[in-house]
Amino acid sequence: MNLKEDGILPSIATITQTVRDRIPLPSFGLEDETAFAYWLLLPALAMMFVIHLIPIVWGFLISFMAVDASYLTNWTQAPFTVDHYLTIFDWNSAVGSRFWFALRQTFVFGIGTTIGVYVLGLVTALLLNRNFRGKLAARTVVLVPYIAPAVATVFIWRMMFSSDTGIINELLVSLGLISDDIFWLVGENSIYSITIVNVWKNFPFAAIMLYAGLQSIPEQLYEAAAIDGASRWATFRYVTFPQLKPVTAVIVLLMIVWSFINFTIPYLLLGQQPSQSGEVLMLFIYNYAFQNTEYGLGAALSVILLVVAMVLSYLYYKMTMRSDVQGGAV
Amino acid sequence: MSVLPEEFRLSSSGRDLIADAFAKVVLVLVLLFALFPIWMMIITSFKQRSELFQSGVTLIPQAFHVENYINMWNRFPLVDYFLNSLIISGVTTIICLLVASLAAYSFSRYDFRGKDLFGLTILSTQMIPGVLILIPMFMLFTMIQQDVGIQMTNTYHGIIFIYSTFTVPFAIWMLRGYFDTIPTALEEAARIDGCTRTEALFRIVLPLALPGIAATGMFVFIIAFNEVLFASVMANNDVTPFAIGIQEFSTNTQTYWTEMMAAATVSSLPLLLIFVLFQKQIVSGLTAGSVKQ
Repeated sequence: MNLKEDGILPSIATITQTVRDRIPLPSFGLEDETAFAYWLLLPALAMMFVIHLIPIVWGFLISFMAVDASYLTNWTQAPFTVDHYLTIFDWNSAVGSRFWFALRQTFVFGIGTTIGVYVLGLVTALLLNRNFRGKLAARTVVLVPYIAPAVATVFIWRMMFSSDTGIINELLVSLGLISDDIFWLVGENSIYSITIVNVWKNFPFAAIMLYAGLQSIPEQLYEAAAIDGASRWATFRYVTFPQLKPVTAVIVLLMIVWSFINFTIPYLLLGQQPSQSGEVLMLFIYNYAFQNTEYGLGAALSVILLVVAMVLSYLYYKMTMRSDVQGGAV
Repeated sequence: MSVLPEEFRLSSSGRDLIADAFAKVVLVLVLLFALFPIWMMIITSFKQRSELFQSGVTLIPQAFHVENYINMWNRFPLVDYFLNSLIISGVTTIICLLVASLAAYSFSRYDFRGKDLFGLTILSTQMIPGVLILIPMFMLFTMIQQDVGIQMTNTYHGIIFIYSTFTVPFAIWMLRGYFDTIPTALEEAARIDGCTRTEALFRIVLPLALPGIAATGMFVFIIAFNEVLFASVMANNDVTPFAIGIQEFSTNTQTYWTEMMAAATVSSLPLLLIFVLFQKQIVSGLTAGSVKQ
């Protein structure tokens, strides 16, 4: 910029005045820049207010009200009740027993997914971090499960899992691992099926995040390790892995929470009537609220699910903070 | 680049060669795991129905039958489902990007009171279970229909409104990463040259961020395209999207796998092609904000 030499640089006051003249936004008595920042945020905040905040408050309210199909349009008239929470926490009631089982299955799903995604993602990231030809192509291929639309890929897995014609049973039989076809989509195995599909879908995300994390580790650390004569395992154990802690924290947290609130994979893989084993909380709430038109009870169950997700995130955050992990998504 | 791989290469003892070979084998296995379902989708879409029931593992198709790609359109209004999905996801993407890029720009450039709270709010929206929103939204839509007389469920505007808001927090987060990479000096120069703030945003920053906006748009599109929770309740009849409609290949008596896989291929390939084209931006956007480079 050679504006200064030409003497056409306007004074700061002139610029500010021009800006004020051209943008007739009210500034609420705020500083000009801050008002502009808020104006840019306004549309997003307004939309999130309507879709996120209002329904959460509303959902919390109706979780204490006996709202069913007859009260759908005049829900304010529905009687106040705490029965929903009482029955949910009552292990012996019909809803309660299903809820606790679903909660357990949700934990199996969430923890299984997190372990699978992290281990597979870390192995993939370490492999991608080596020098070899076709590295970019390999990275592209790894990301395919994450990019390919879930509606298409979940149905592929459904086809591959199907007991009589599915390729997975065919492969297992021809390898001699099983003798009879396994039912993957009904019965006890359905929880494993949704976990496998979720791991397949999300491990690329972990791999690419960990790969970026590996790339950002300073070279000096490896040089120092090499000078100290550290073995390959020791280098990984004392240099690489500790350096990956912030990324690990993000991945673990996201995977747990995302599995807890995942609906697409269980719903599309197991269908509308899942076996009890595969009925994670999201499916259970959805089925209960909309099949039995028990909206108040469904809202109470959803509030509990939100609380569980938040408590888990908070505990995890506390845990990782204590062990001196910096960064993280929260 | 870490120094580790070179170290491996320099000392080419037998142990390192074995380790290298082992690493390559494992990588190939991982790549096979990632691609295998996609391969199965493509080859099944070219199979005849009768071939499905032959026992034995067939990983390479014997013949290419294209009739699935023709027959799939006739069983039910699949064309409409595809069009509905394109309309819903496309409009959602446009609205979401407009709203989110303004907010992300503000989030990236300005220091305002409540900025940390805003960031926290955006992140915590990611842990809200969809059903918690769905039940009140369903009631709200039913009430609007009854009291105001505007049809909301099973309409484009209803479902687009929900989707475009749902994707906004995610899009803000991703776009902010891109805006952070654009030097502020460019806007300052533009401002000195007489641009207003708004002009600087629309003429300088947004064009520069276009690759990032496109990559974010692709993710928003994918999210909207794959959504089934809200769609299954709020988008039926005339606006049924592909994500709900594809389930009709599975009837009570049988599932038309070959045709379903043809439809799945048609829906996946465009996205995968776009991904390969925008790979760089997509990968940098995914990792932005969580990894400090």
